[in-house]
Parts: sequence; structure tokens; C-alpha cells
Amino acid sequence: MAKPTDLIQGTLDLLILKTISLEPKHGWAIAKRIQQVSREALQVQQGSLYPALHRLEQQGWIKAAWHLAETGRMAKFYSLTSAGRKQLDKELASWTRLSAAINLVIREA
Amino acid sequence: MRALDKARLRLRSLLRRREVESELEAEFRFHLEQLVEEHIASGMAPDEAHRSALRTVGGISQFQEECRDMRRVNFLEDLVQDVRYTIRSLAKSPGFTGVVAVTLALGIGANIAIFTILHGVLLRPLEYPKPDQLMYLTAESPAIGGTRNALSAPEYTEFRQMNQSFAAVGAYSTGGAAYTTGEVNVTAGDRPLRVRSISVDAHLLKALSIQPEQGRFFNDEETARWTGTLPPPIAILSHELWRTAFGRRPLVGQKVEIEGRPHEIVGIMPPGADVMDNHTEVWLPLWLHSNTALQRGAHVLHVIARLKDGVTFEAAQTELSAFVEDWGERVGTKGHVPTNRPLRAVDHTLQLRALKDAIVGNASRPIWVLQAAAGFVLLIVCANLANLVIARAGSRRREFVLRAALGASRGRLLRQSVTEGAVMSGAGGILGLWLASAGVRALIRAYPASVPRTSELTIDLPVLLVALGLSTGAALLFGFVSLGRRRTSSMVTALKEGTRGASGAWHHYARRGLVIAQVAFAVMLVIGAGLLVQTVYNLTRIDAGFDRSRLVTFSMTLPMANSDPDTRAQAYQRVLDRLRSVPGVLGTAAMSGLPPNRTPDAIATPIENYVSDDGRPFEIIDYYQFVMGDYFGTMGIPIVAGRGFERTDNASQGKVAVVNETLAKRIWKEQNPIGQRLRPPGGSFGASDDVLHTVIGVVKDVRQRGVERPAGTELYVSLDQHSVSPPSMNVVMRTTLPPAALSGTIERVVWEVDAAVPVVRLRDMDSVFAESIRRPRLLAQLLGAFAGLALLLAAIGTYGVLSYMVTERRREIGIRVALGAARSHVLTQIMKQGIQVTAMGVTIGLAGAFAVNRLIASLLFGVQPTDTVTIAFVIATITAVAVVASWLPAWRASRLDPNVVLRDE
Repeated sequence: MAKPTDLIQGTLDLLILKTISLEPKHGWAIAKRIQQVSREALQVQQGSLYPALHRLEQQGWIKAAWHLAETGRMAKFYSLTSAGRKQLDKELASWTRLSAAINLVIREA
Repeated sequence: MRALDKARLRLRSLLRRREVESELEAEFRFHLEQLVEEHIASGMAPDEAHRSALRTVGGISQFQEECRDMRRVNFLEDLVQDVRYTIRSLAKSPGFTGVVAVTLALGIGANIAIFTILHGVLLRPLEYPKPDQLMYLTAESPAIGGTRNALSAPEYTEFRQMNQSFAAVGAYSTGGAAYTTGEVNVTAGDRPLRVRSISVDAHLLKALSIQPEQGRFFNDEETARWTGTLPPPIAILSHELWRTAFGRRPLVGQKVEIEGRPHEIVGIMPPGADVMDNHTEVWLPLWLHSNTALQRGAHVLHVIARLKDGVTFEAAQTELSAFVEDWGERVGTKGHVPTNRPLRAVDHTLQLRALKDAIVGNASRPIWVLQAAAGFVLLIVCANLANLVIARAGSRRREFVLRAALGASRGRLLRQSVTEGAVMSGAGGILGLWLASAGVRALIRAYPASVPRTSELTIDLPVLLVALGLSTGAALLFGFVSLGRRRTSSMVTALKEGTRGASGAWHHYARRGLVIAQVAFAVMLVIGAGLLVQTVYNLTRIDAGFDRSRLVTFSMTLPMANSDPDTRAQAYQRVLDRLRSVPGVLGTAAMSGLPPNRTPDAIATPIENYVSDDGRPFEIIDYYQFVMGDYFGTMGIPIVAGRGFERTDNASQGKVAVVNETLAKRIWKEQNPIGQRLRPPGGSFGASDDVLHTVIGVVKDVRQRGVERPAGTELYVSLDQHSVSPPSMNVVMRTTLPPAALSGTIERVVWEVDAAVPVVRLRDMDSVFAESIRRPRLLAQLLGAFAGLALLLAAIGTYGVLSYMVTERRREIGIRVALGAARSHVLTQIMKQGIQVTAMGVTIGLAGAFAVNRLIASLLFGVQPTDTVTIAFVIATITAVAVVASWLPAWRASRLDPNVVLRDE
């Protein structure tokens, strides 16, 4: 397995918020989903994922609830709060601005 | 909303920690299981998959810790942990905890109680707008020993018109003539009440800036019209009287009977409104008899003035002094204030004083003394607790060092120590606050009028802040002391030493030093208390000039309006006659002013063939005593020369008078006073004209204005001879019965004469005396309590240090006993240590006492601050206490069994 690209500081929050914006997911599913969608390019380490989830929860952007997972076990599902949805929009906008700017620099310079 | 959610989440992580932790645990387990399943799906054996998953995940607890960090409550969690730990460890040593909490509660409680008084009485501003502008004016005539006197009516009106410094100048009086007492009879429904009154003018309320709550205030016209024979029949009630006696019913515009006359109630004052801590219940318009209003010598008006904005105290006093210089010339009078220096005997100057100082008066020094004493007690408490904590720290040394070895930082340990201190001082503080509020309430109940401004005393914000400050200080002290100078470098030695843990020279000296300080403070307090106790003893033993045993007294007032002087005299005569026939009553008499605590009259009295030092044909006599019945016989006042009043005088034409020794000596010096003649003004007691009185006797001096003050000049006039009487009289009865047994009879007798007259202040003369010395008594009792507490604490301190020393030296003592040391030698050696510490403390304490006892010199009576008897007594007491406190540990040391001790090691 190739060494996963280090995530730019702060982008993990964006990825988590985006990933659970469609439906509530538990930690494992969030990690898997990011991995799949990025075609294995982004590997989220448990050591970063869970502290990030707890931080987001403390900030009130996501909330957690215990539900039955597909496997039939109880798992902690995270979903966006309305504040989290606003935060996602904000972070998406700033990410788009940032990546466009970086692309510009890379192409033009 | 979000902030609220966040707070809820934080609180959840803090308070429902177990739940949060188990969720964290479950979340990780789920993740791990998913990982294992994935590994199995990719073809691994189950246990191989499990191991691999664990490897991938890494240190689970580390993740969990990071997750907890994300919840950011570690600081608080530490605190909760510390508090829990502290409560557990304190609960394990209830003795230690109990002693600490109770001593702290006593120390803090005493301080809070006294500070409540200090703050409420001395520091808190008066409850008027801009209270610092309010000044009290007094007339000072140092040449004749009259200080802080009231002003005369002409002085007041002239001053009000002429001054430039004051925005408003007003006057009040609680009497106005010699025989008024600042009280009036009020009829509320069918109940006669005796209530406190004050007579004020319209200017006064302008100066104080208070407004009636309902109705209106008196106008200028009503309070400056000093004509006729009676004041205008209008009154304002205090909010409190209106509430309690009239049940808040609408009263403005209605009539209420006051002193037997219907008065129109024109207003109700707001709650708490008062003047000079008078506890005023009825406000009456200021009124003076037209004669009094013109007399420059009649000092009857108390004057309060409000400075103009921006005018300083000094500027106002300068203006006042400057125009006193030529005041007499300006208003065209003589004999008012000095026109030529130096001062003549009857001249006086006017002096300004801040109103608050005037109200507090001489209560200020005793309160500061008590606060200082309470502070000493707190210092002793802290020294004692520091000692206890050091001892405990010694035995917990191993625990702390072990924790340091396991990685606890010094800061973390300190935080833990401070938390322990905070829990104990918090408990002590809360208990102390409770003690203080109970104590202050009990004090006010026991001594209702001994200290001014006590009706407004509460434990308010500043007091709570001081309580908080004291507790915090104590908590910090604990923390630092119990951590001491321990260094991690000494960890190894400390662990090796084990529980035996000699805590080192620093602790040893610190503990001895603390005990010395305790003893020193205790010595100072006990000396102070000893001096005060002796003062009270001296005061109770003063010969006031009459026999106060088996003497019962009460006071009554016949309304001025519906009685004239003759009918009043007959009414009093009837009361006296009927009381005399009650079984158990040996004699009755009545007088205008009740010794030993009455207000002076200071009446200018013309004397025949007499010229005073400054060339006047009269003398100002301090006290007039108008008496009825066999006054000298009933009171037990010895007659020094001549005779007392007799029944045969009543019918005789020539009026007679009796003087006291001081008056006889001051006026007639070497001459025989018997047969001399003087002319007391008839207006002073209700007679129609001034008649010459012949002196028929000289009696022993009676203390009139406080037992501790020397007697002034006094003139006795028999009302029986004049058949007149002032409205208020004090009745005395020589009787074998207690006041309680007589009260029913007295009320019946008085109400037979006039049903609208209440019987007030019925008590025996011993109570009158006790009340006249209540302030030194209160001071002595409080100081005595503090000193007792200090002694006890110092004894505990001495005992603690010696016990600890004995424990530390068990081994040494054991060896010495094994080698043949005599047990008595061990005993004396340990005791010597205790006595040495005490001796040093006593020496320092005596030096301290000599330094500060000057401050209480003015509170003492009949005893010097350096009284050798007191000091010897104190040294003896402290030494005795120290011997007892040292004996127990010394005895225990001498009983040590070397076999047991040496085996223990």
C-alpha cells in the first residue's frame, strides 16, 4: 500500500463534513468512503479521524447517535447539524477559492 | 443556541464521564471489529487478523486520550479529581479535618462578625445622597469643659443666613427644654405607645435631601414660628411606625393623638429614614419656646449642614473660624463668641465634623480594637493550622515524593495541595459565615443600643468578599506550607527514610517559630482582655453616690397639652402615694433626670452675692434635679451638711434648694453654703416666675452622665414645694420586690391616674447601671472570648509541637532510657522545651503589648495599660497553660518502653 498523501491541515474536517452530508455514517464508514471516493489516494488514519470527529462534535457541527450498523452491531453514527451544514458551505467555498488559486499559480508561473 | 449546545456537551463530558468513556470505548471496539472482519475477508486467520488490526490501530489508549483532549475539559477534570481525592483523604482523617474546619470557622467567623460591624458602622457611607458633604456643627467651650455642645437658636439662624460654604443648614432637637426626653406618647387605636421622636425644621430635610414617601414635609412657616405655647399640631410618621402601629392604612391628612393632642399626619417617611441614628418614629416640627429662642446661652439645637458642591471641609472650617472672630459685632450682640482674645470662660467657637464621625462618635476605637483582636485570632488560627499541616505533610512526605517520582509535576502537586486547602478553608469559610451572621444577630439582640447604626447591619457584598478573601488566603497558605520546601532532588533520601521521615530542620524551626508567634499574640490579647475586664470591674464598683440595691424605677410622661403644671404635680403625687401603700414598697420618690446616665441641663443660674471668674453674677449649673417625695431617703443619697427636703417645707413660703458638694465647693469655696441664695429660672420646671431659693443642705455627689465621669454641679429643687411638675418624671421605689412582680400593680396605679399614659423603662437600678456600662462590658466580653480562644489555640499549638517532637525522637529517647536515663530527667527535658518556647512567646508578646496598649488606654478606667497585676496574672496564666500543654507529651515520652521503641524501628 502506497504511503497515503498527508492531508493538508484542515482539509480533514472538510472531507468528514462532506462525507456525512448525504447520510449519517459511523467512523469506519467515513474512513472507507473517503478512501473509496479518492480511489485509495487518501487514507484517513484512525488516530486523526476520531479526535477530529470528537472535535467537530464539541464544536456543534456534527452530532452523534447510536444506531444499528449494517453488520448488526451498534455503532456511533455522525450526522451534520444545521450549523455544520453552514460550516460545510463555508469550507467548500474557501477550498474552491484556494484550489483555484493554487491551480492558477501552478499553471501560470 | 450553539454556545448552549457546546456547554451542554462539555458538561456532559465532565459530569457523565463514565458514560462518555464507555461510548469512546465502544466506538473504538466497533472500529477494531470492522478492521478484523476486513482482514478475515481478505483471507487471514481470525487471530492473525486480530493481531494485525491491533497493530494497524496502534495505541488505543493514546487515541482515546486525544479524543478526550478534543473535549477540552482536562483542567476541570483534574480539579474534579483533586476535589474527589481531597474529600476521600480528608474523610480518612476526620480528626484533622474537624480541627481544621472548626478552628478556621472560629477564626474566619470572628473576623467576619467584627468586619460586618466595622463595615456597617464605620466604613459604609451614610444613606443620604452625597453623604460626604454632610457636616455636624458643634459649639466648643474648652474653657469650661463643654465640648461638642449643641448650638443656641440665635447662633443657628445667624449662621444659616451668613455662611457662604453651605448649600443648606438645618436643625433638629430631641427635646428643646430641660425635661424632654426625645420620646412622645402616641395613641394608635386604643393602645398608648411611647415612641422616639425628633423635632426638625424644613431646612434639615433639605440638607439631608430626604423626601417623605407620602404626603409632604413641614414648610418653613411651620418650623420657624416660635410663638405661642405649643408646637403646631402636625406630624410625620416613620414608615416603620406607620406599618407596625397603624397597619399601613391611609393616614395622611388624618388626625392621630400625640402627647394627648390630635396631630394632623402630613406625611410618611420612606423606610429607614432617620437622623443621627435616633431611631426616629415620629417627626415633629421644630419648635422652641419664644424665651429659649432668644437665649444665646441655651444650647438646644443640633445643626447639620450640607457643603456646597466643590467646597472642601477645610475651606468651610476656615470660613467658620473667620466669621466667629467678629460675629458678635456683626449681629450687634455681646457675650456670644470671642470678640477679644484670649477666650473668656463662657465664650465658645464652632467646630465642623463629618456627620458620619459625629454619629459613630467614640464607638470607632472599640470597633477597631476588636477588629485588631479578631485579626490576631485569625493569625493564631493560621499559625496553628500551618503547624498541623506541616505535621501532616511530614507524614505524607512519602506519598508526595512517590507521586513526583511517577511523573507528577511540581505544579500539579501544588495544585493538589491548594485544592486540599481550598476544600478545608471553603468549609471553614462557610461555617464561619454562618457563625458570624448568628453572632452579629445575637450581639445586636443582646446590646441593642450600644453601637450606633446597628439597625442597618447585614452581611453584604463587601463582607462576603472579605470572607472569600480570607478563605482563599488560607487555602493558598495551606497549599504552599504543606508542599513546603520539598525538592525532587531529595526524592531518593525521602523514599529511603520511609515513614520515619524526619522533616528536616526547616520544618522544625518553622513549627517552633509558629508556636512562639501564637503565644506572643495570645499574650497581647489576654493582656488587652485582662485590662478591659478590670475596667468593667472598676466601673461596677464605682460609688455613684446613691444606694442602688433594691431600687426599682420606671418613667412616665403626662401629656403637656391637656395638663398644666399643677394638675401634673397632683397626678404624680397620687401615683407616688398609691405606690407607697403597696406591700413590699418601702419608699417612693420621683425625679426629672435618672442617674447615672442623663443629659446635662447647663442652666445659667443667678446667684446672690456672687461674681464668676469672668465677672458675671451667675453660674452655669450642669444638672437641675427636680424631685418629689423623700428623694434623698429613697435613693440613699447621704446628706453631708444641713438637711434634705421635709414635708414641712411644702407649705412654707420660703423656697428651699439642696446642692451637691461640687456645686458648694465651686461657688462658695470656703464659705458655708447653708443659707446662701440662688434664683433658678422657673421656666425650667414649669413655675411661673423666678424665685430666690435658700440652700438648706449639701448632699454627696451623684454621678449623672456616665458612672466613669466625675460629677458636675447639681441643684435640687423640691417640686412638692412649688406644686408643679414637668411632663416627664422618673419614679423610683425602694422595694424588696423585683420589677416583674411590680409591673401589674404599677400599670394599674398609673392608668387609674391617666389611662393614656404608658409605663416605660420599668427595671431595677442594677439594670440601669449595667446598661450605662454596656459598651465596656461588651468590649470586655468579646475581647475575653477572643483571648480565651487564643489561649486555647496557643495551648493546642504548644502541645502539637511537643507531641510531634516526642514522636520524632522516640528512638533517641528509647535508647537513652535503655542506657539508664532517669524518666524524670526525660520528662523535665521535654517540658523545658515547651517552657522555653512559651517564654520566648511571652517576652515578644509583652513587648508587643507595651507597644500597642497605648491604643486602648482611652477605653480603660481605673487601670493603666501597663498594670503590673494584670501582666503578672497573664504571665502566670500563660505559663500554667504551657505547663499543662507540655506535660502530656513529656509524660508520654517518659513512659516510652525502650523494648517496644527499639523493636519498632
